[in-house]
Amino acid sequence: MNTNLKISNVTKIYPGCVANDNVSLEFNSGKIYALLGENGAGKSTLVKILSGVIIPDEGKIYLNENNLNLNSPSDAKKNDIGMVFQHFNLFETLSVFENLIIDSDEQRESLREKIDLIMKKYNFSIDLDIPVLNLSAGQKQKVEIIRCLIRSPKVLIMDEPTSVLTEQETSELFLSLKKFSEEGILIIYITHKLKEVMQLCDEVAVMRRGKLVSVNEIKNENIESLANKMVGQNLKTIKKKKAKTSSDQLIKITNLNFTSEDPFETNLMDINFSVNRGECLGIAGISGNGQSELFQVLSGEIISEKKSIEFNNNYIGDLNPQERREYLMAFSPEDRLEQAAIPQMKIFENVALNNFKSSNFFNNGLINENKIKEHSKKIISDFNVNTDNIELKSQFLSGGNLQKLIIGRELITSPDLLICFNPTWGLDVGAINYIHETLIKINEQNKSIILISTDTDELLKLSDKISVIHKGKLSKIMNAEEVTSEKLGILMGGAN
Amino acid sequence: MIKIVKRDQPSRAIFFFTPVLAIFLTLVAGGLIFFILGFKPFEALKFFFIVPIADKYGFSELLLKATPLCLIAIGLSFCFKSNNWNIGAEGQLTFGAIVSGGVALLFYEQEGFYILPIVILAGAIGGMLYASIPAILKTYFNTNEILVSLMLVYVSKLILDYLVVGPWSNPEGFNFPETRQFSDSAKLPLLFEGLRIHAGIFLALAAVVISWFVFYKTYLGFQMKVSGFSLKTAKYAGYKGKKMIILVFLISGACAGLAGVGEITGPIGQLHREISPDYGFTAIIVAFLGRLHPVGIIFASLVVAITYLGAETAQIFMQIPKYTGQVFQGMILFFLLASDYLLFFKIKFIGSKK
Repeated sequence: MNTNLKISNVTKIYPGCVANDNVSLEFNSGKIYALLGENGAGKSTLVKILSGVIIPDEGKIYLNENNLNLNSPSDAKKNDIGMVFQHFNLFETLSVFENLIIDSDEQRESLREKIDLIMKKYNFSIDLDIPVLNLSAGQKQKVEIIRCLIRSPKVLIMDEPTSVLTEQETSELFLSLKKFSEEGILIIYITHKLKEVMQLCDEVAVMRRGKLVSVNEIKNENIESLANKMVGQNLKTIKKKKAKTSSDQLIKITNLNFTSEDPFETNLMDINFSVNRGECLGIAGISGNGQSELFQVLSGEIISEKKSIEFNNNYIGDLNPQERREYLMAFSPEDRLEQAAIPQMKIFENVALNNFKSSNFFNNGLINENKIKEHSKKIISDFNVNTDNIELKSQFLSGGNLQKLIIGRELITSPDLLICFNPTWGLDVGAINYIHETLIKINEQNKSIILISTDTDELLKLSDKISVIHKGKLSKIMNAEEVTSEKLGILMGGAN
Repeated sequence: MIKIVKRDQPSRAIFFFTPVLAIFLTLVAGGLIFFILGFKPFEALKFFFIVPIADKYGFSELLLKATPLCLIAIGLSFCFKSNNWNIGAEGQLTFGAIVSGGVALLFYEQEGFYILPIVILAGAIGGMLYASIPAILKTYFNTNEILVSLMLVYVSKLILDYLVVGPWSNPEGFNFPETRQFSDSAKLPLLFEGLRIHAGIFLALAAVVISWFVFYKTYLGFQMKVSGFSLKTAKYAGYKGKKMIILVFLISGACAGLAGVGEITGPIGQLHREISPDYGFTAIIVAFLGRLHPVGIIFASLVVAITYLGAETAQIFMQIPKYTGQVFQGMILFFLLASDYLLFFKIKFIGSKK
């Protein structure tokens, strides 16, 4: 049976921003639809309206000509709309089956049969009785998908599903999605990754600043045309020049180990690598394989044996981040809102988080506010942060501007080494470009970068050498030219 | 129609308005309770909140009660601002009082200008020692400071009980559970003839000024603020987390200890069983009612001090149990937490559409 989903004149206004501006769209089953847009374009809001999480100010939703009143997520479920969120909503310590039975009203026995059937049909193999924390990200996502399929949905919405998947897992997911579509489930696929849209979808709707800017069949589009629609301007492509190979070693990690007491953390085993001046070492991997721990060990949030890290001919393994900054290291952590910056604090206060001796931010234990403000103004203008008010709380900066502020704050000391972890995660294309350009510039100034990232395209674009982290172990270090994303994908999955 | 809308940003005005709203709602609810109990609400509230402070003596009593509350709450705000949940100020007060009382007893029947400073210092050190227990257990053994500091309150009360009944009890005291009277040199001077308000109030005022300076002007204050928002950020910035946890606990303990000194070396002048009507716990309410801001805490301590006095007057004149004081303290906290909702949401009145 054909399913028809219609969004009619939906508007949602937040204070200071129109998230959805009179959006009308129509979907029919049998096709896979892409909803494409930068962060903040309004696609998440639209999807949340479809799944009952947000109630629109105006507009209506029709499913097969019936006007739906979606006041809560359970209304969406009742109306056969299933949704797989970007972040998993699973209880890590419960078993797969327990997770699935939680929001189901079926009997244990019949539910189990139903799940077995679904898994057989789509070739999923997941042990239902092991705790979710033992699953890979791809498997967890399958659990979320099964949770939707149990209710035999008419519509399945996938929100940025590939951000945690390997190349191989992604192609598996795409196969499944195509199969669902053939069986009559209407698929709406939300993403900002253009390549995926071209690979998977039949029709694409592009959103920008809350407005629907284009709806078109995929065969009439290409990556460039979509990118331009998404950003609203022509993007220049940036490319890194081949670095002059230097043999001047800057940092050397020797037999570094980290054993965590926390079962949700990954142990690091026997990490060895070195980075030369002017070089960018990329570290690839699926999130949760020890990247966060590696970042903390390198930044000094976790201290290690003194001799395990040699930087500029000093042993610094036992120093904390502030002490390491004095040796001209800088750090940009993954979590912008909970670690790298404090949203409730003002811009200039956030700048003071990078406190190094020559900054004179704090003299004899007293705050030197003028110095901090002066410094903040410089960062804002040097790094194109789009505001002129350093008294603004940083929660009012967009993700891109906040990241520019953070990178600027870290780079203003002109450090010899910048260690960054997913620096462009969740940013829009314009901001990503800016950050990438900045990183390339650093290398050109003969400074070094360790780039820990889950975005393979980014790594291939910026790195001179690449290694892959899997379950806390690093693969051998490869020259970037010899590496393809397929090869990385295989290593990320744990094969040799 | 009424609609509830999320605020983009909690405004500063609302931040200080909600405590006032909480107090107002407490008065309304309190009046209602009195009404249900069969009293005239306005008269009862008058006995509770106005009569006690209508004269010179009453006002001195108000300051007397507000002094320890303010002092402890200032100390606690160091902890609370930096994400450390010290709720054992009552124990730190008691232990500070024990140590300073012990020192005061050493100088029994001796006089000298040097005695009082030593006694005061001993109280601060006692409070610090006692606060260092949850702090050290937290930093080195990962225990929960809420549980440890709370349980230590009861330990300190038992130690005090043992001392005033046993080894330290007054030999000529007919077995009353109290120590000898301290010598005059070991007592905080009274400020006015015939009133009980004593020099301890200057300790509280000094704490207010110092804390304001530390919070807003020093690197320590900045680090506390950062740690209060996010421990992950504090770690990333390279702050020495353990050192700071211990430091804020010590400051907090010292303030509570000083409050203990004020209680025993002020009007009473001896150690006995009940040196504090739970000032250490009530000060938690004061700290939050005052928004962890030094000036806010001054006002909050005055407001909450009235509930102690009001409860006594109400008991005397209206035969209402004095525990109504605690009911009022509870209501203040309750309404404060409830009206904090307004920090993040606002109520919009929308005219009905025709």
